Amino acid sequence: MSFHPHMEYAPARFHKSERVLADDGETFAYTPERQQAFDEVVTRYPADRRKSAVLFALYLVQQQQGYVSGASMRFVASQIGCSTADVEDVATYYTMFYRHPVGTYVLNVCRTLSCALLGAERVVEQISAALGIKPGETDPSGMFTLIEVECLGACDRAPVVMVNDDWHERLAPEQVPAFLDGLRTRGAAALTGCHLHVEEK
Amino acid sequence: METVTLTIDGRPVTVDKGKTVLQAAIESGISVPYYCYHPGLGVDGSCRVCIVKIEKMPKLQTSCSTTCADGMVVTTRDEDVVKARAGIFEFLLVNHPLDCPVCDKGGECPLQDFSYAFGPAESRMDFPRRVFDGEGVKADVDFGPTLMLNRNRCILCTRCVRFMREVEGDAQIGIVDRGNGSEIATFREEGVHSLLSGNLMDVCPVGAITTRDYRFKSRPWDNPNVVDTICTRCSKGCSTSAWLKAKPEWARGSQLIRMTPRYNPAVNDYWMCDIGRFGYHWIEGEQRLRRPMVRRGSALESCAWHDVLPKVREQIQQAGTADPSSVRFLVSAHAATEELFVLRQTIDGLMGADARGSVSLTWARSEKTQPAGTRFVVPATDAPNVRGAHDLGFAVGAGHDGAPDLGALRAAVEGGRVRVLYVIDPGPDGSLGDVAWVAAARRAGTLPFLVVQGVVRHDLVEAADVVLPGATSTEKDALYTNDQGMVQPSSRAILPPGEAQEDWRILVSVARALGLSLSYDSSDAVRVALAAAMPGTAYAGAGAVTFSRPIPSRNWLQASNPSERWKWDFMFQDLPPVKGHSVQMEGVPVKDIIPLKPTQA
Repeated sequence: MSFHPHMEYAPARFHKSERVLADDGETFAYTPERQQAFDEVVTRYPADRRKSAVLFALYLVQQQQGYVSGASMRFVASQIGCSTADVEDVATYYTMFYRHPVGTYVLNVCRTLSCALLGAERVVEQISAALGIKPGETDPSGMFTLIEVECLGACDRAPVVMVNDDWHERLAPEQVPAFLDGLRTRGAAALTGCHLHVEEK
Repeated sequence: METVTLTIDGRPVTVDKGKTVLQAAIESGISVPYYCYHPGLGVDGSCRVCIVKIEKMPKLQTSCSTTCADGMVVTTRDEDVVKARAGIFEFLLVNHPLDCPVCDKGGECPLQDFSYAFGPAESRMDFPRRVFDGEGVKADVDFGPTLMLNRNRCILCTRCVRFMREVEGDAQIGIVDRGNGSEIATFREEGVHSLLSGNLMDVCPVGAITTRDYRFKSRPWDNPNVVDTICTRCSKGCSTSAWLKAKPEWARGSQLIRMTPRYNPAVNDYWMCDIGRFGYHWIEGEQRLRRPMVRRGSALESCAWHDVLPKVREQIQQAGTADPSSVRFLVSAHAATEELFVLRQTIDGLMGADARGSVSLTWARSEKTQPAGTRFVVPATDAPNVRGAHDLGFAVGAGHDGAPDLGALRAAVEGGRVRVLYVIDPGPDGSLGDVAWVAAARRAGTLPFLVVQGVVRHDLVEAADVVLPGATSTEKDALYTNDQGMVQPSSRAILPPGEAQEDWRILVSVARALGLSLSYDSSDAVRVALAAAMPGTAYAGAGAVTFSRPIPSRNWLQASNPSERWKWDFMFQDLPPVKGHSVQMEGVPVKDIIPLKPTQA
């Protein structure tokens, strides 16, 4: 469609934004178990409020492929019956949805007041130095992603790092190499989050 | 309707129950600024500039989201309000690039106007401005096939988001990211693909969304004249405004510079579709017919009106004397009611009312792709006056809900039973629908004589023996009857090009040449006769219909802004333009504002 008698508009890539878009990813579909879980959850909402299941649907996506790709947002939109822009709106608003592939362990280092006072900045520096990455990046081995986040709600045990969904507390800067080694060798068992030990006590 | 009475700025105001404080203020002519509020969209409350003080409420309230209650006491000019409001304006302008001199909205921008009137004198911000896609020209990025987006200018009022969600029906625009990084975006930068996309420019209160069609073509002060017209691109009949450029040499000699919707709650509300908005270039395009033409051998040659009419008369009289049914008319439903009425009189006068069957109405149809939930449905019939033709007693087949019925005419033409076919088509190319068979019959010789009274040089014109240049809907005062049966006047914005004439006048000339004594000297006279001929119908008032002329907009700064114009047309008429005063400067002597040096007289 051209609106100007002397100018072609539509097919030309005219003034495209130069921003780099996240990769669209491969065609996405839930595994049968996740599809079943999704189908069960949407029944909790009224039929005309199916959109409300968007957060749960995106969590399932992230569980399955580790991050939320363009293709998966299209899939979620078709599943809950809203526009793709609506899904992107939600997925970009919440910082815990990752728009790029992340490592096995996502290190969310708190940088809000209590943690900052107890050296969170140096924790970030130490992790960066040990892995050779900046906040927001994934190390070459694909094991760690470093992210700075705001308050994680564990100020009494600062500085705190959230690894995937669990806390690691009182992480002094000098303990960082040991902490990373622990994750490499023992995995999530190396974490000290108090909530992980409630039952033991 | 139940009403409530409240006090705004010491003035008692009575409004319908359920209205918001902002609506009450607007209705009573009290100026309260706003961005996110739009009368055609839902309430959002995100821009905060409409804050007012309401007694007994602990904090300042956004008037757009506060419903009026009896006895409410509202202040809009209290010191607290003025100060808080100025603070909000300061924040709105923190990241705004202030590139008004190169911005298409400059001069008709609510952000400009309200910032002058209610904002602080200057910003205290010394951080660099937030930039999304780049500075300057790089900030303008593709936003689908019709629009451009400049995120740096956006103030996140979300009118575009709500328009797509509530009116268009497909929420293609969202706010991505959060906080300071928030920006309007389409999914993966795909852009807006919608038949109603042009309305996003209208609702945008800043220059963030602009149309490619109007971009850099004009400035508001260069197109101060505007005419009330009716869009003739489909049977919906939206009220529109045709904007005229004062200095057309800057726009390749054309005068029409843009089309915008005009508020009409019965038909189109505040909206129009892109077909009518952007499809006007053909009116002043190079394919327009400017002079009458006759066929000499294989070519069409220009000639004068007084030479061409006898030729038409001769052929129609010859054919009509031999066999009255061999003279047939193929009329586009783009023909206005006046033209159809004159045609009816001509046929009645020459051949009797039984011969009205010699007229076949035609129109094009195209199914529009729109989302299921859209509130603005664009009809499939691409002609404005199918209903009018029906009302005048012409056969229109299934009417505006269906396709034209040309089977009988086609059989007659292809069977060689038609000697003269007179085509009337004041619409754009393609408005006759599929009529390739007419041109084929003429070329094959089965149709001996073809008269085309049209406006655009299309394939049928190339096959014609006589071509009579007519006028498009923007070039004549005319009535069109939309699919709801509303008889709507469309005013003349520009004159027909060259020697082209208004179609009713051509038909009167032809009728006179054929010996009928029609004595119309203006289209008003035709309408008076039409009203007299159809008492007790919707056309009974046709004689008294008034048409507007291109008039200078009084408050061009505001009135020329399509998104805000309704306000100035319907509500603020008695007020001076916003720029006439500034709340902060009221009562301040001029010398305190402008440093005047004492001079020696």
